[in-house]
Amino acid sequence: MDSDPPLPIPISYISNRYLLFSIDAVTYLRREHHICGVLIGTLPQIPQQNVFLGLPLELMPEEARLLVDKGVACIVDEAKAHAGMRSLLEGDRARYLRDLESQGQHAMRLQSDRKEQKREEALKKLDEKKAARARNSPSASAQTESSAAIVDIFNSERSNGNTSRDTSTSTASSRMGITPATSYPPLPPPSSTLHLPPPSVPASYPLFAHLHARGYFLSPGLRFGCNYMAYPGDSLRFHAHFLVVSYDWDEEIDLMDVVAGGRLGTGVKKGFLLGGAEKSKQEVENEADRVDSVRAFSIEWAGM
Amino acid sequence: MADADEDTTRSPATGAEQIETDLSDETQDFRLLNHLNFLTDTSNSSLPRRGEKDFEPNPTEFQADVLSASRQAMHNALSYPRIHAPKNQVVAFYSPDGPIPPPAHPVREPLEAVDEYRKTSNSEPKTNPSRVSEKGVGVSAEACVCVPSPKGTYFKSMGQADRWNRIWLLPEEALYMLERGSLDIRWPQELTGSVDELSIPMSLQAAYTCFIGRGGLTLERFSVYTGLKRLGYALIRGPGWDDQVDEASNAQDRALQLNPTQRGPGLGGIFSRLFEWIHDPLSTASTTTGPVVGCGIHRSYADVYRKLAIIPWYDPVTPQPNLEPSAPFRVVYHIYKPSTSYKKTAPPPPDFRIAVLSTREQSTLPTLTQLSALLHSTPLVPPHGEKMNRMMYMRLRHGYRNVILAIVDQGVVSYLRVGDAAFGKEKLFENVKPVAGTKRSGFSKKSKGS
Repeated sequence: MDSDPPLPIPISYISNRYLLFSIDAVTYLRREHHICGVLIGTLPQIPQQNVFLGLPLELMPEEARLLVDKGVACIVDEAKAHAGMRSLLEGDRARYLRDLESQGQHAMRLQSDRKEQKREEALKKLDEKKAARARNSPSASAQTESSAAIVDIFNSERSNGNTSRDTSTSTASSRMGITPATSYPPLPPPSSTLHLPPPSVPASYPLFAHLHARGYFLSPGLRFGCNYMAYPGDSLRFHAHFLVVSYDWDEEIDLMDVVAGGRLGTGVKKGFLLGGAEKSKQEVENEADRVDSVRAFSIEWAGM
Repeated sequence: MADADEDTTRSPATGAEQIETDLSDETQDFRLLNHLNFLTDTSNSSLPRRGEKDFEPNPTEFQADVLSASRQAMHNALSYPRIHAPKNQVVAFYSPDGPIPPPAHPVREPLEAVDEYRKTSNSEPKTNPSRVSEKGVGVSAEACVCVPSPKGTYFKSMGQADRWNRIWLLPEEALYMLERGSLDIRWPQELTGSVDELSIPMSLQAAYTCFIGRGGLTLERFSVYTGLKRLGYALIRGPGWDDQVDEASNAQDRALQLNPTQRGPGLGGIFSRLFEWIHDPLSTASTTTGPVVGCGIHRSYADVYRKLAIIPWYDPVTPQPNLEPSAPFRVVYHIYKPSTSYKKTAPPPPDFRIAVLSTREQSTLPTLTQLSALLHSTPLVPPHGEKMNRMMYMRLRHGYRNVILAIVDQGVVSYLRVGDAAFGKEKLFENVKPVAGTKRSGFSKKSKGS
């Protein structure tokens, strides 16, 4: 788990959205850079529910921008990269298929081992039960002996049958089909010609970057009617502390919005956080200066 | 004063609790997944209960351990492979150019056309999903994945069969099935240049790359599709899928939808007006010359109230001028509850209609024009049934037309139901006797009158 993927991490740009498909990249960014994203895929092991979701991970443009600005990630145009499927080298293709085949065989072996193990356990239990019954029965010793012999015969027969069945299945289909999560391999790592410029971000970006720099984990906030939810630590283990709404510095704020946000936030045991960058885009040379000039205010419904 | 304040502060809090009990609302601790033994047993996998979270980080090692265990569990759960046991492996082929006949049959277009696949998949062909492919395969031109030998239960509600008994899947159907590990999609052999029998399986990443953005399938639309499919709903594309308007089919739909509305209430309206006119002894009423209720003898409060209702109100059943719903406020999916028996060859009227919005492209509520155009693209569903007749607020909430807005904020989906309520139709003054005995008859009379 602690293996670090090679940097910069490629973020897939697909149809105007930023996605991650590599599990190592997902855990690395979460652990080292406090970027959580939103899992949007179906978990193949439990596909009929919406509580636990799987890959891919969707990143907000803000998150993607932050990572690109830090030099941790780059944006890759996947449509162009996948055009490379047509120009795969024969050797690469064959090697990739061989890899998949051996992985498939490995998976098959694992599963049949597990089945075997379970079967043996079940058999052992059955034998124990039989033995217990035989011990408990008040019949003559000769009888138990003969019945034991019969059981033995059955056992041997059954095990014979099983082994033959096992071999037949293993010869008929020795490997599982595998759908890999990412396309690298067989595609070569995306070259820098496929890299796209950093994503454009909404006006709330300085506040996002400000809170992120102070150790907060941020996630999309629509559920609570705000721009972002701010978590004090990894959202796996902590509840959100703030509902974050960004405003321009000179923007008039409707008092009703403050009352609504303050009451909602207090009602769900979170603070209502207003913030924005003091300097406008014209006043600064780069975004980083704006992030430094962000100020934030927390509003709580006092209920007096 | 204090009481009132307490009440108001309490109500949002209970609302919040309800919100919090929706498990999919918040990031769940993946450690809970460890209790599920799906590797060994898939039959009795029930969902784990929500775990306790901490208030804030502290520098204890205990907390660090718990967090790292959570992350490890998440890592394990997410790295679970999509494997296909040989017995129930379903293989499909990606067809970048849309439906094509099997290779054994004469192919009208040369295979070199495949080289152009990037262009076609990027430029979002603007054809109606119901329009049949020109190549004579007999399926929707939007379909792009072919399953030569379909098996399993999924194809009961998904896909379209062609003349050669192959099933063609739309991009969202193919991607959903690949993602849940039920379909093994292969790159077309011409594309990857393989000469032998082996073809390269499409990865999840490749499938997203090829299918998202194809034929109007945005990531938001897919998130809604897959989220509802996971819960067991059946979905098909609705009339508003294509942003471009198809005049002919829309006009037809509109005619179908409007006809019953014009006939039913129109006739009833005339009748009741006639009835009122004959029966009304107070036709002297005029706001300029006298009291609104008119001079004369007033026999019942109901008549007086009816006379006092001088403010015009909106009646959802009156036919409206034809409004064209504008993107994104268009019905993109028809949804069927799991309990509805759904047949893909003859889909019944849908249980829900849904429009999909992205917060990053549409950050404001729809205007009245947009919303009424959207509502009028759905058929009239007046509240009916024993319970609705009895309960006024259920009637109001149900409305006369309804549509669901799915609002997607960076992968997080919220659903809003918009109903066209008719407050003017609920005559509160007719509802004066809450005595148990007479209640039923009074209500049923009213429902007939409206």
